[in-house]
Amino acid sequence: MPPPVPEPPNRIVPCPPLINRRDLLRAAFLAGTVKGFGPAFSFAQSISAGLTPAAHGEDGSKYLTDPKWKAVFLSDHQNQTLIALSDVIIPDTETPGAKRALVNRFLDLLLSVEPAHVQAQFVDDLAFIDSESQSQLGKNFLDLNVDDQIWLLSAWAYPGQSSTWTEEARPNPGQGHFDRLKALIAGAYYGSEIGQRELGWDGEFTHGPYEGCDHQPETHS
Amino acid sequence: MAQDIREKAYDVIVVGSGATGGWAAKRLSEAGLKVALVEAGRAVSAREFTEHMPSFLLKYRNHSPEVMRTRPIQRQCYACMEYNYEWFVNDLENPYSTPPNKPFSWQRLRILGGRSLVWGRQSYRLSDVDFKGASRDGYDMDWPISYADLSPYYDIVERYIGVSGARENNTMLPDGQFLPPMKMSCGEIRLRETIKQKFGRTLTIGRAAILTAPHNGRAPCHYCGPCERGCMTYSYFSSPFTTVKDALKTGNCTLVTDAIVSHVDMDGNKARGVTYIHRTTRESRQVRGRAVVLCAQALESTRILLNSSTREYPRGVGNSSGLLGRYLMDHVVGGGASGTFEDLKVLPSANPPHRPNGIYVVRFRNTPDTGKHPHFIRGYGFQGDSLPEFDPGAPGIGRDYKKAVKLGRYMVSLGGFGESLANFDNFCEIDPNLKDAWGIPALRISMVHGKNEASLMRDAGVTAAEMLEAAGAKNIRLTTGTEMPGMAVHEVGTARMGEDPKKSVLNPFCQSHDVSNLLMTDGSCFVSSACQNPTLTMMAITVRACDHLVERFRRREV
Repeated sequence: MPPPVPEPPNRIVPCPPLINRRDLLRAAFLAGTVKGFGPAFSFAQSISAGLTPAAHGEDGSKYLTDPKWKAVFLSDHQNQTLIALSDVIIPDTETPGAKRALVNRFLDLLLSVEPAHVQAQFVDDLAFIDSESQSQLGKNFLDLNVDDQIWLLSAWAYPGQSSTWTEEARPNPGQGHFDRLKALIAGAYYGSEIGQRELGWDGEFTHGPYEGCDHQPETHS
Repeated sequence: MAQDIREKAYDVIVVGSGATGGWAAKRLSEAGLKVALVEAGRAVSAREFTEHMPSFLLKYRNHSPEVMRTRPIQRQCYACMEYNYEWFVNDLENPYSTPPNKPFSWQRLRILGGRSLVWGRQSYRLSDVDFKGASRDGYDMDWPISYADLSPYYDIVERYIGVSGARENNTMLPDGQFLPPMKMSCGEIRLRETIKQKFGRTLTIGRAAILTAPHNGRAPCHYCGPCERGCMTYSYFSSPFTTVKDALKTGNCTLVTDAIVSHVDMDGNKARGVTYIHRTTRESRQVRGRAVVLCAQALESTRILLNSSTREYPRGVGNSSGLLGRYLMDHVVGGGASGTFEDLKVLPSANPPHRPNGIYVVRFRNTPDTGKHPHFIRGYGFQGDSLPEFDPGAPGIGRDYKKAVKLGRYMVSLGGFGESLANFDNFCEIDPNLKDAWGIPALRISMVHGKNEASLMRDAGVTAAEMLEAAGAKNIRLTTGTEMPGMAVHEVGTARMGEDPKKSVLNPFCQSHDVSNLLMTDGSCFVSSACQNPTLTMMAITVRACDHLVERFRRREV
């Protein structure tokens, strides 16, 4: 049995240990309801034992919107810092941002089931943001105003900049911490319904058939 | 479905209900033979398909701890997900061992239809360059059959399952009975034109067992994308809703689910049935038959025979040659390249038709046209695609970042699938110290990709990069390593066919040299792996073997 159109390993960008953003997005885009192909999927169906929760039609997203939600992995300070960080990286614009997509809650859930070394890496990454914030501005990240938060993160937001006019480009210190956090936040955001809507998803599952390229032949070389 | 099958003797017992088992049941029952189709897993229903369920409804969005805990090996397969992991075996209940430093990923399902539910659907014919490879380069031995022997059976299978594809008139990849091909993107057409013009290589749309037109009562693909989670319109080929359904419709086929076959029961040098352990009750039961056809998948079928040792066959039934379990192969993967077409200004869409298929570059190394390569024998093909994608890895934060993600990038990638050479030292055997949850002795699998496979993937990385560069791709990244065996999920060999009983396990009709009423028609019979996806060939071989078996029944030879 072959993979369908396999993902050549080279094509998988370096991803954080928790989430393969590409997979999240790929799966997330394949969403919606079918029209014209018989009855739509019923979430009320139950067939027999041996089915996954998904095959039972369970809506696992309800966990995130539970009014009694409490963090199971993050401390209150870590949770609030993550909310603030995600809100700066993916803010509300014309569309909702990471805070409203409950990115912090989803990442708390994921981290709660990850191995200890992955959890430790995340805690270390988040602590680095506070450490730099204290070092440069004398406050925890959470206590900065938004302009200062943006100012702090901008040094890492555009990697590969030269440190000085004459030096070769090189990563800023701590770039890895920021990159991992941003990748997690982006994966959680674009994997949410809000994130998919931000990309333009119309709520439907099918938009076929695939018509391919409509250019004239011999115009691609 | 008859539940008490113990008092009845069948003409044929078919073990396994996947791509080949379904065909065996269909072909034999439609010929009037009484068939018991024995499947280790439970029945499957289209009501449990999840192809239209958005991932944000999954609690862990495909990172379920239950999958990590119970399927640490199965989740290495792209198709084992939070949606459908119950179709895959529970690794805790189904162990196997490997020697130190020889990892092998054995990805398998226990469900009616087996891996045909989640397969990649790529369907390519082998050519005589593959069947007679040894005659060309002197390595190992030829298949005992040629393309001409199998071609009519490829026709039968393709006409039934429905294969969309384009004719290319390329001797390395014979054309078949195609439904209309799926379309290519701008980037794919550019790559096709470039590599034909500059390298003389052929890029075609993937030949896929996915309908592009109504076919045999099934609707065409509706382009939702994730076939491996099922298809409510049955638009890709999977056995439960096609071959198995046809077999049951004849009234000659009895389906036995939840039946984990432990061994073949023997009476002297004749198979007289199989013994299975009921998956849930753990009760041991027997089914009697005049012939047994193993279609459980190469490693599983081999395990059954190795566990069937008798006084006459102390090393396992059908193993007088000592080759049962030997010559295990799985396509080597890992080499390839990716890049971006920066001049193709096509924005990604969140609402595209999801074409469940890609492109295929036909083998161009060691062909009759290109001659012998100095560093390796045999060859590889490429699978890949080129489409605009969103770019969550874009730089920046805030509003600008959200915009950059939506601008996306036009990706192009090629991943190599190389031939895995038949090697006596790649094998499976029974691990005397390991049993599964049903008390059935488990396998020890010992396989490594060798120097030739490593050279193939190194070359695949280089040639993929040169083709992408020639087509104008930027940001090219290449990989030249090899994944561990098993990752292609194309395991074949272990009971090779041949004319000489001392050098093979099966005859050219997949019949055991030692036990005339025992057949293996899954991938175990392969002599070489070629580099094309093997399922179409397995199905064609099954039809050929079953037609031969029917003839033997008619001649009262069974």
